[in-house]
Order: sequence, then structure tokens, then C-alpha cells
Amino acid sequence: MALALALHPITNLIFGDKHRLDGNLLTVDVNELRRMVLEDNAFDSVEFEIVRPGESCRAGPIFDIVEPRAKAPGGSPDWPGILGLPHTAGFGTTHVLQGTAITMLREQSPGESRGVTGYVLEMSGEAGSASCYSKLWHLIVIPHTKPTTPRHTRHKAYRMAQLRVAVRLAQIARDVAPADSQILDNFIDAERAALIRVAYVGQIFSRQRKPEPEEQIIYGANTDGMLPTLLHPNEWLDGAITTSYHTSIGGAETYFYQNNPIVAELYRRHQRGELNFVGTVVTIAAADNLDRERNTQFAAHLVKWALRAEAAVLTKFGGGVPHSDLAETARLLERDGIKTAVQVTDLARDHRVESALLFNFPEIDAIVCIGGNGTRWKLPRVERVLAANGGMAEILAGPFEIDSLNVAGVANQQGASRLRSVVY
Amino acid sequence: MRVVHYLNQFFGGLGGEEQAGMLLEIREGAIGPGKRLEQLLGSETQVALTLICGDNYAVEHQDELIASALEKIRAAGADLFIAGPCFLAGRYGVAAGALCKAVQSQLEIPAITAMARENPGADLYRESLYIIDSGESAAKMDEVLARLACFARKVSFNQEIASPAEDGYIPRGLIRDQFVEKTAAERLVDMVIAKAKGQPLESEMVPATFERIPMPPRVKDLKRAKLMLVTDGGLVPKGNPDKIQGAAATRWGSYSIKDCDDLKGEHYEISHGGYDPQFVRQDPDRLVPLDVVRELEKEGMIGKLCDEFISTSGLANPLSNTRRMGREIADKAKRLGIDAIILTST
Repeated sequence: MALALALHPITNLIFGDKHRLDGNLLTVDVNELRRMVLEDNAFDSVEFEIVRPGESCRAGPIFDIVEPRAKAPGGSPDWPGILGLPHTAGFGTTHVLQGTAITMLREQSPGESRGVTGYVLEMSGEAGSASCYSKLWHLIVIPHTKPTTPRHTRHKAYRMAQLRVAVRLAQIARDVAPADSQILDNFIDAERAALIRVAYVGQIFSRQRKPEPEEQIIYGANTDGMLPTLLHPNEWLDGAITTSYHTSIGGAETYFYQNNPIVAELYRRHQRGELNFVGTVVTIAAADNLDRERNTQFAAHLVKWALRAEAAVLTKFGGGVPHSDLAETARLLERDGIKTAVQVTDLARDHRVESALLFNFPEIDAIVCIGGNGTRWKLPRVERVLAANGGMAEILAGPFEIDSLNVAGVANQQGASRLRSVVY
Repeated sequence: MRVVHYLNQFFGGLGGEEQAGMLLEIREGAIGPGKRLEQLLGSETQVALTLICGDNYAVEHQDELIASALEKIRAAGADLFIAGPCFLAGRYGVAAGALCKAVQSQLEIPAITAMARENPGADLYRESLYIIDSGESAAKMDEVLARLACFARKVSFNQEIASPAEDGYIPRGLIRDQFVEKTAAERLVDMVIAKAKGQPLESEMVPATFERIPMPPRVKDLKRAKLMLVTDGGLVPKGNPDKIQGAAATRWGSYSIKDCDDLKGEHYEISHGGYDPQFVRQDPDRLVPLDVVRELEKEGMIGKLCDEFISTSGLANPLSNTRRMGREIADKAKRLGIDAIILTST
């Protein structure tokens, strides 16, 4: 199943009276986008702002970050299960406005462990340079929903508006010759038979929190009743997965499903002839032990018998409990002779090794640990603050102290993080 | 750079075990291993003072030793404090660790020691200090001094400290963050390939090992037993009077259930992130099973239920907190003569 990414690098983003793509310059017609968003009567109004890479600007709280992409006719659909029927994603041509993001704010801080500031987009300074997102051009979408809108309706409205804007913009690239293109396919031919067979097992949600009724996570479904299942690597990249409405808690944004660093890295090694990337299993972390047993058994079973993998990399979603699901899956794989490496987050708020992991299986001895508990920044005042209301703008104006976990794109759990824990 | 060096009576050349009771003595300049240390530290460094103390006195009068040592070190205008190397000498290691910790926290100058991993001082102070791993044999004195001096220079000049293996110190069991070139995805795939090929790899985290907790003896006679309910699910009275934190809680609370047979949602709230508390909010007995335990009490199956239940939040709680709180809760249960506890978690 081949996916062609038609890459259109963008180095300048401006407002104008018509959407246009001239070389690397992208012009956006805000009025058209506004009309489109306001078709959903959950919204009272909507604002758009352009933020450039490295600008002295801060925006928050972040709902989600999406790369503008649009499918060429004849391939799989745009955001199946959300913008259309849930048909298989991941084949045909996808146009990518590379270097840009559609970044949706939310009107209220998600609260819980994220504090009053919520999840922040920081474009400059030390914290900004630690974030993958400060290097992009952002079209920030600032929503104003009707006060009577129920929470789950509001969240769904954010999701729909963001994806529609992203697709609409990228559609203007469909008639433009791309600067570059990339073909993604994990075919295995006879010459590769000797290479090690590697699978990816990725959690996309943690049932610690019950998803909202219409929360769109996999092909538009909210994971209720979901068992681990096989996904072609291209499905991750091409619209099968959107992140939970509670992005920050997962440490995952839709942008890094589209640009999934683990899928990309496995593809790169596959294409260089270092391994056979045999496929992926998508799974969730459970809320209780029976579900955990069921999910981990199914995931391991798929890796072993459907993918016939010899090695697997595993990632988690969310906070503490998903460690157990991840580790139990890895333990079952190791029991069956499948070598594993796992990526975890550092849970040690006291900076002690003994508190860092929620498992201690000796066979799980290849661990990538995304740090974050030891990194805080004092955010200075910035020239521009973008938020959906005055109260939030005042909070975000700074200066204030922030944990690295609350800055989008730093302690990312999708493989993008350049932060690591060092044991000493 | 001015250095103050600490030695025990033996390495200070003042005698063996018969001198272990001697009080702190001060000598100008370097003594014994300090002379070699001074050379190794480089030409701009001098050992200004050497402190020598008997092993027994140092351990039995630790507070007095620390107080007078701090005074001398401060007066000497020291930039660096070094104790030992202590090898396997236990009392020496404990004193060296205690002095280094006090110097580091109160004088805010680097303080470094060296001892064997098996030295009891290493267990006590490895987390607080950089302790150079000296091995057991004092015959390696020269080599250990060289590593100690090299590391001390590194710390004094604020150079980046490498891993325990590279820099030769005893692992402190701590975590720090570092930004690196490779993404987590690249590191992860590197690791799995190395593991599959049987090549060496450096795991970024090591699982902790824990002592086995033996199963406690069974309750002898449940019909006479006094039972207590404890939860780490964060159930607290409305308003959270003890301000128990919802994550990494450092406090626990004890709440009356005297004359109460059934917990009502309107009187309680949940201070605990990470799980969906709606079902406990509807009926707190789902977390703290008061209703059924009261029935058992009435039926005579258990002796008596304690008049209070205990609650804290288990979310993302480091072991250093939970160990202490566990001890405090156990002490309270002992004081109240509790025979059995039902501990519910989420």
C-alpha cells in the first residue's frame, strides 16, 4: 500500500483576499475560512492569527496542532471517519504544506495536572527552542463557542473546524507541482528476507479517563470497546488517528501522528535495508485489569502471529498507568522471544530512579526515557499573547514558571522528543 | 584554590584503633594522602588545613564534629572540601559522608569523598553526594587519589559531570534531564536493533529492585479484630480540609465515620487525578466500603470497625513520600490497636 507525500515547503505565510500558493509563499483568505468554520453553529465567532517561527509570541491553551494536508483525488479520503466515511486511510497522494501548522486554541484550561496555563505554544526563548513547534509557521485558530455549548460538543467543534481548515488550505496545493515527494511503502522482497522483522506497538489513548461520547481518536471512533488492531504504517501518517481532546495529558498531538517519528524512523531504516518494517499494532491503555490482560494479550499475539515480528518498539500514551499496559505487552513479547525496546516518561517527581518506572521486569532492559520532571523555565513577557479570552491572555502574558511538560512539543510521547532522562 | 582535607586517626598518622576515641585535631597543610592529593590537584591548589578525628568519636559525636569542622573550614576560606578516601572503613566513611553533606549544604562549596560501594557511608550518602568509588583495597590509594583529584577539579570548575561509569562515582540513584541530538524515535529504533543483534546498548532508565515484603500473618480471630479502612484513592470530606494534593500527595488525612453506616457523595470529594472519579463521587462506598463493612460488623463477622478512615492520593507519588506516609499510617494504626486494614486503591 503506497502513499506518496507531495511536499510543498512553506517559508512565508500571509493573509490575502484569496488562498494562493506561489512557490514557498502561502496566502490565506481568512474570510473564506471564517465562513467555513461558522457553518457549525456551535461557534459565535472565530479569529485567525499568523505566528512566524521564533516570534516573540505565546499561545494557549492548545487544543491540538495539525499539519495542513489534503488528499489528491483517487487515493484514500481526508480524515476518514471524521470528514467522511471511515474508509481505509494511507494510499494515493497527499499534499503537504510543510513547515506550517493549523493550531487550535481551547477556551478553557483543561485543568487537572496541567495547571492554570494549560498546554502552551512557546515560539521563542529557551523554552521555545526546546519545542519542535517553534520552528513552524502557525495559523492559530481562536474559537469562541456559544456559552451554552456542552463541553463535548465544543471539543468536537474544535476538532472539525481545525481539520476542515487544514484540508481546505492544503487543497490549494493539489494543482501545484511539489518541490519534493516521498513514497512510503513497506514492501518486503526476497532480498530482504534475512533482515530483522520489526513491528511498532503504539498506544493512542489511555482509558484512565473515559473518552467523551464523540471523541474522535481512531477513524472517528472514541475507542469504546476497542481491541488492539493492525494498522498499516501509512494509516498512522494519513489520517486514521487524531489525538484525544485532552492533548496535553497524552503528550501527543495530531501533527506527530501525521509526522509520526517512530513510523518515519522505521521506514527510513527499512528503506536503507537495515530492517524489515513489518507493520504496526495500535492499542490503548486499560482502566482495569481484565481489560489490561485482554489488550496486552491481543497486542502481543498480533505482533507474533499476524506480523511475525522478531523485534518490536513500544510507546505509551498519557501518564502513569499506561506504563503497566506497555510493560505487560513487552513482557509477553519477550516471553515469546521477541526483542523489545520501550519508550516511557519519567514519573519520578522526586528525581529518584526508584520512582521513575511502574514496572521492573528484568527482560525489559532497553528503555528510552523522556524526561521533563527536572526541566522548568521562567517564561518572560513576550510581545504577543494569543488566547481565547482576556483572563487567559493575562495569565499567559508572563512572566511565570512552567514545567517542560506544559510546553507543547518538548516531552512529546510520539517519538519527537529530544529530551531524555539521565541516571546518575 | 584552598582545600580542607579530612582524615581519620589512622590515615592521619596519629594511631590505630587505640586512638579511635580522639577528638578533632587540626594541622596546617597536607598530611599523609593529602600530600599526594595536593600534587594531583595542580600547582594552584594547596591543602590549607587537614582535619583529623578518631573514628569512634566521629560517629558517636557526629553533631559536635560537624559543628567544629564547619567552623574551621569556613575560617580557612576553603573552596573545596575533600574527605578520605575511606575504602571499606565504615565509621570513617560515615563521618566523611556526614561532613561532606554538611559542608555542601551549609557552606555551599563542593565536597567530595571516596569509599567502597559496600561502605555503610555509601548507602547513607550516595544520593546526596558524589562519592568516588574507591574499591575496597587501600593498596590502590594512588590510583584512587588520582581519580578523586580529577573529579574534584571537574566539579570545582563547573564542568559537566558524566555518567557514574565514566566519572567513576557511585551511582546516586537520581535522574536529571538532558537535551540530546537524537529524537526519542531514533534512540528507540537504535536500541531495538542493538538488542535484536545482541549488541551492547545503554538503557536510559534502569528498573529499581525492591525488597520482598513478606505476607503478614493471617488475622487470628476476625470476630474480635479491630478493622480500619485506608485508601489511596483520594476520598476527602468536601472542601478537602487537610489540603491533600491530587498528585504526589505529601499528606494523608483521617476522617470520622463514627455513627455512619453509608458514605454519601454530597459530603465527599476526590482529590486524585489520573482516574475517572465519577463512580466514586456517586457513591463513595465504592472506594471506601463502609456500607458492607458495617453489615459485617453487625453480623459479628468482624469485631469492630475503627471510627476513622484514612485517605491520601496515590497518583504519581514518589516512593520517598509513600514510604514515609505508610510508616506514619502504620504507626497510627498500631497506636489505635488495629488488627487488620483493608487498603483500597484506584
